[in-house]
Amino acid sequence: MDYDVIILGGGANGTGTARDCAMRGLRVLLLEKADFGVGASGNSSGMIHGGIRYMLSDRHVTALACRDSGYIQRIAPHLLFRIPFLMPFTTRAAGATLRDRAAWYATEVYVGTYDLFQPLKRGKPSTRLSADELYRLEPGLRPGLRGAVTLDEWGIDAFRLCALNALSARAHGAELRTWTAAREILAEGGRVRGVRFRDALTGEEGEARAPVVFNATGAWSPALARRSGAAVPMRPGKGVHLTLDRRYSNYGVILSAVDGRQMFVMPHESESIVGTTDDDYYGDPDDLEATNDEVEYLVEGAASLLPGVRNARITRAWCGLRTTIYAYGPNEDALSREHQLHDGAAYGRAGLLSLVGGKLASYRAQAEEATDRIVALLGRAPVPCRTHEEPLPGGDEVPDPAALARAHPVAAPVAARLVYRHGGRAREILRLLEEDPRLGLVLCRDEGILAAEVVHCVRHEQVRRLQDLRRRCRLAVGACAGLDCARVAAQLAARELGWSPEQVRAELADLLDAGWRERRPILDGAQLVQEELVRGAHAAAGAPW
Amino acid sequence: MVSPRAVAADVLVVGGGMAGAIAALAAREAGARVVLARRAPGATALSSGAIGVAPDPLALPGEPLRAAREPLEAARRLARLRPDHPYAVLGERLGALPEALAFAARVLAPLLAPPLERPRFLATPFGTAVPAALCQRSQAAGDLLAVDGALVVAGLRGHLGLDAALAAAGLERYRARGGPRAFAVEVDPGLGEVGLFRPHELARALEPPGAAEALGRAIRAALPAGAGAALVPPVLGLRPEARVPERVAAAAGIPVAELLADVPSVPGVRLQAALEAALAAAGVEVVQGALQGAGPGKPAMVGADEITAPRWVLATGRFVGGGVVRRGTLREPVLGLPVQAAEGREAGVDLAARPAASLTGAARSGPQPLLSAGLRVDALLRPLDGRGRPAADGLFAAGAVLGGHEQASDGTGLGVAILTGYLAGRAAARPGGGE
Amino acid sequence: MATRAGALSYLAWRALVAHPLRRLFRRRGTGLERFRAAYVAEGLGPTTPEDRAIGEAASACVACGLCELGCELAVAAPAVRALGLHAAFRLYSRSVAELPLATSALAACAGCDGCDALCPTGVPISRIVRHLRAKVLGEGAAPAQGDRG
Ligand SMILES: Cc1cc2nc3c(=O)[nH]c(=O)nc-3n(C[C@H](O)[C@H](O)[C@H](O)COP(=O)(O)OP(=O)(O)OC[C@H]3O[C@@H](n4cnc5c(N)ncnc54)[C@H](O)[C@@H]3O)c2cc1C
Ligand SMILES: Cc1cc2nc3c(=O)[nH]c(=O)nc-3n(C[C@H](O)[C@H](O)[C@H](O)COP(=O)(O)OP(=O)(O)OC[C@H]3O[C@@H](n4cnc5c(N)ncnc54)[C@H](O)[C@@H]3O)c2cc1C
Ligand code: SF4
Ligand code: SF4
Repeated sequence: MDYDVIILGGGANGTGTARDCAMRGLRVLLLEKADFGVGASGNSSGMIHGGIRYMLSDRHVTALACRDSGYIQRIAPHLLFRIPFLMPFTTRAAGATLRDRAAWYATEVYVGTYDLFQPLKRGKPSTRLSADELYRLEPGLRPGLRGAVTLDEWGIDAFRLCALNALSARAHGAELRTWTAAREILAEGGRVRGVRFRDALTGEEGEARAPVVFNATGAWSPALARRSGAAVPMRPGKGVHLTLDRRYSNYGVILSAVDGRQMFVMPHESESIVGTTDDDYYGDPDDLEATNDEVEYLVEGAASLLPGVRNARITRAWCGLRTTIYAYGPNEDALSREHQLHDGAAYGRAGLLSLVGGKLASYRAQAEEATDRIVALLGRAPVPCRTHEEPLPGGDEVPDPAALARAHPVAAPVAARLVYRHGGRAREILRLLEEDPRLGLVLCRDEGILAAEVVHCVRHEQVRRLQDLRRRCRLAVGACAGLDCARVAAQLAARELGWSPEQVRAELADLLDAGWRERRPILDGAQLVQEELVRGAHAAAGAPW
Repeated sequence: MVSPRAVAADVLVVGGGMAGAIAALAAREAGARVVLARRAPGATALSSGAIGVAPDPLALPGEPLRAAREPLEAARRLARLRPDHPYAVLGERLGALPEALAFAARVLAPLLAPPLERPRFLATPFGTAVPAALCQRSQAAGDLLAVDGALVVAGLRGHLGLDAALAAAGLERYRARGGPRAFAVEVDPGLGEVGLFRPHELARALEPPGAAEALGRAIRAALPAGAGAALVPPVLGLRPEARVPERVAAAAGIPVAELLADVPSVPGVRLQAALEAALAAAGVEVVQGALQGAGPGKPAMVGADEITAPRWVLATGRFVGGGVVRRGTLREPVLGLPVQAAEGREAGVDLAARPAASLTGAARSGPQPLLSAGLRVDALLRPLDGRGRPAADGLFAAGAVLGGHEQASDGTGLGVAILTGYLAGRAAARPGGGE
Repeated sequence: MATRAGALSYLAWRALVAHPLRRLFRRRGTGLERFRAAYVAEGLGPTTPEDRAIGEAASACVACGLCELGCELAVAAPAVRALGLHAAFRLYSRSVAELPLATSALAACAGCDGCDALCPTGVPISRIVRHLRAKVLGEGAAPAQGDRG
């Protein structure tokens, strides 16, 4: 056999499991049909929450989740940002009824109980705010609110989380193939024996053999399973987010949509996001686009508490598919309600392990559990998991941006973005400027992307297509939609990867297409002006338009 | 508080881009007293600086460059295929195109090269060639059909904005269509850390005595045998008076031309500056500020000035210029004229309030009604109201504010601005307006 | 395994006994004071109506770069110059938490107003730069007063 285990899917679960398996000494092949994080993982709300919702059913799980959030901070401290949430109290009646007050107190107690777990994830204790205090903290809230409780959680750049797990796996000997889809899971005599795959860029087809296949293809699982004569039951739900061009507030606000569902407006890196919708989705998971209705639903919901959101600049709308477990078993605990590992032995595919569900926040614990199972399926002796101890690439250090800016010819705000995305590796990137000072060019002034960062990502972070840089370093995802950065980044990538002029144009077209799909439903105000400018600039420069 | 200054004129032009400036100059030439109000630079200053009139819609992908139709013929073909395009709306008056282009070349003579019978093929940083009916003198020597010998793409050492090898490799592909051989070289302009320079800084750095000459000598030293012309990044000086292109070429010993630019565009800024110089020279009064007013014959306010004119040319641009805005629904903000957002057969149907996604197509490079939204006009360039009648006496519109073309990206933007600006300016100069 | 009844009675105990006790003995101060102590030091301060108005105005920037032609700020420091003037809207103003890092860049504004008339979308550039600068300098002074040790 070529490998011990073949992992399908480069989301948080696939890359996390690849890392764990590789760290435990297994020979690993990971296949991702596009790029790391393109599925639910990168398109999630990116919250590393501590499982507050399990507190009623199983406090043990909350403790586990909080501890895991703490572990993620330990291994990738640079990639997380704190989000204080305000949970405003609303009333229907003119005055607060006794029931309202009881409900608020219950919320306060509930969140207050969560405080007991907060130290596990370096969280801050909750507070209860009077109406007056609430408006001091968020004057943009609509009048008539009665106060709030606060809640502390963490957010993360989920695309980079996936990429870092993958890169760590690679450093531990795993083989990674992006833009390579598993076409079929091969089986023989009741056991899996490998996978047939196809490289979308070269057209190469091939087979890889392994006694164990771990299927973490998320919403794509049912289709892959069907093609392979297996079954993975799940219920996909589409979730749409909107991005606002700046931090609307440093505080997240939890609110209700028109239909009473819970929604939020929250800071995310240097932007804000509004989310999310949740609707059953039975279409092609590759054909996902936000609709007018979804955009309006989110704006309406957000504006119900924060009317000013209507004046904010929406820069894109993006979607992901949740995979919800089809039917609950009778006596599962809360955590396994969120995820299940299906063993293919039941339908003649021994050695096939499929994951359904599984939160981003608990990807590490899920990966640990999956790896334990994989080791057991291989009949190996158990090896302890170390993914919570060893830092992810760059996670060993969070350099001080101001100090970096003093030591290198970069502006401090750019150094800060660099440190946010790359942690300790920011040093390595800035060293590139010593050899070639022009790599100090700031390609994108929305995100503070340096030419050196693009070169670094292309060299070291498994970039095969220009659009992979959207996820590695946020190329062309900011409000300016690729105005400054796209063309020069394409040239830099072309030089590193040896692209022909035709390839450069095709890659650029593909990058711009990806952005267009996300902006099309939200073009209005300044973002429409931006679109016209970007089109003009690319057409004038002879980029494909 | 400054007391309002009352200004009376025959023609008030709103907007100072290509369309507004050409309209003002044309009206002035016809003897009218002209005031031009403008808020800021717009799309004109951001354009590549070369004037696209009409990419020939029927040109075959591999056909020889020499087979290219003259601009009027290409514009006629385009008009037949796209009934909403301003070229089509103008009907017979499209025939004034050569005259309008000649007018623009004349009033902008220090900057623009005289037009030819055929378009020039100008190189982009991606190594593609774009047909241009008019271009700046600094761009003309790069015309793929005019290069006598090999074309040398000269990257500036330390300037990341241009990958000369990539551009040259792309231009090589045009040899089969009659283009020259293309090489890449790298030259050191002797300016230090140019990698960190913004294009306009580089342009400025080349202006002082000696700098352009040093670049020219560096190009000369790097030239391979048989070089007929050199292409450099579009940074040859911000001020036309500095004569950077000429100085570089003299020192290099061969013709030197700029590649086309993207944003921020030094040639675009130069174009805008040349328009302003021409306005001043012609005696057009320019007032700075956003105009508010109710239309021709009624006083309009620009800052502290109160301007009254019986005839107006609205040349406020599209989204970049601010002539059309969208806040939930599409609007023309100065006079509240109806905005049409339709393509082809649906012309006239009011789609302005439709959501963005239904005014756009999923394929990025397909037609996008949202991006071609603008005013609907008749053949005399009079904006139409909701019932299809001229919205106001003495009101004309020109340039990107007109709907029916994706002005920024379909290769016809500046051509439309020149032709419609010219026609609208001349019409507005005549008392009674129109024919 | 915790049953639902168990969970509810735990919550009831928290509500009736533990939480009131905790309220009684926890650190002093109003909810607002405790919230501020927790977050403002990390740069996570509230967004005032003025901040938001400035943010909305800054959001009209389309990164065209035309304002830089008239700006003296751009010749201030090489790294700031490399970043350019419109970074002031697009980078600095997006996330207040990172604003202090832009202090020197913002301080380089000469107040010459050379920029405003060049902006196609009407961004009140010099006003934004002034606001951000005042904010960052004001905030730089804040810890001295608000320090609780
Ligand atoms: C809107 C939304 C918001 C969410 N918010 C949060 C949150 O805030 N916090 C949280 O913890 N969780 C959140 N989640 C849930 C979380 O995102 C997912 O549970 C988690 O990311 C699942 O990761 P995964 O690796 O299993 O799947 P995915 O990330 O979907 O990965 C599957 C991968 O498989 C690849 N693939 C598919 N077919 C093939 C094939 N044939 N061969 C090779 N590769 C293939 C896909 O390209 C994809 O990259 C959210 C989900 C959604 C949709
Ligand atoms: C990035 C880019 C690249 C381009 N490249 C090319 C190219 O290479 N070739 C080509 O042919 N075309 C190109 N175009 C298209 C071309 O630039 C435009 O179509 C053309 O310049 C439009 O000219 P205009 O005068 O109609 O509008 P603009 O140049 O936008 O001018 C509008 C003017 O109106 C003013 N204004 C608006 N409202 C008011 C008000 N209320 N009061 C006072 N003044 C007001 C504005 O301030 C501005 O001065 C490009 C466009 C863009 C955006
Ligand atoms: S006011 Fe400040 S930002 Fe504006 S041009 Fe002058 S120095 Fe630059
Ligand atoms: S001129 Fe205006 S839109 Fe252009 S970069 Fe400057 S602030 Fe932004």
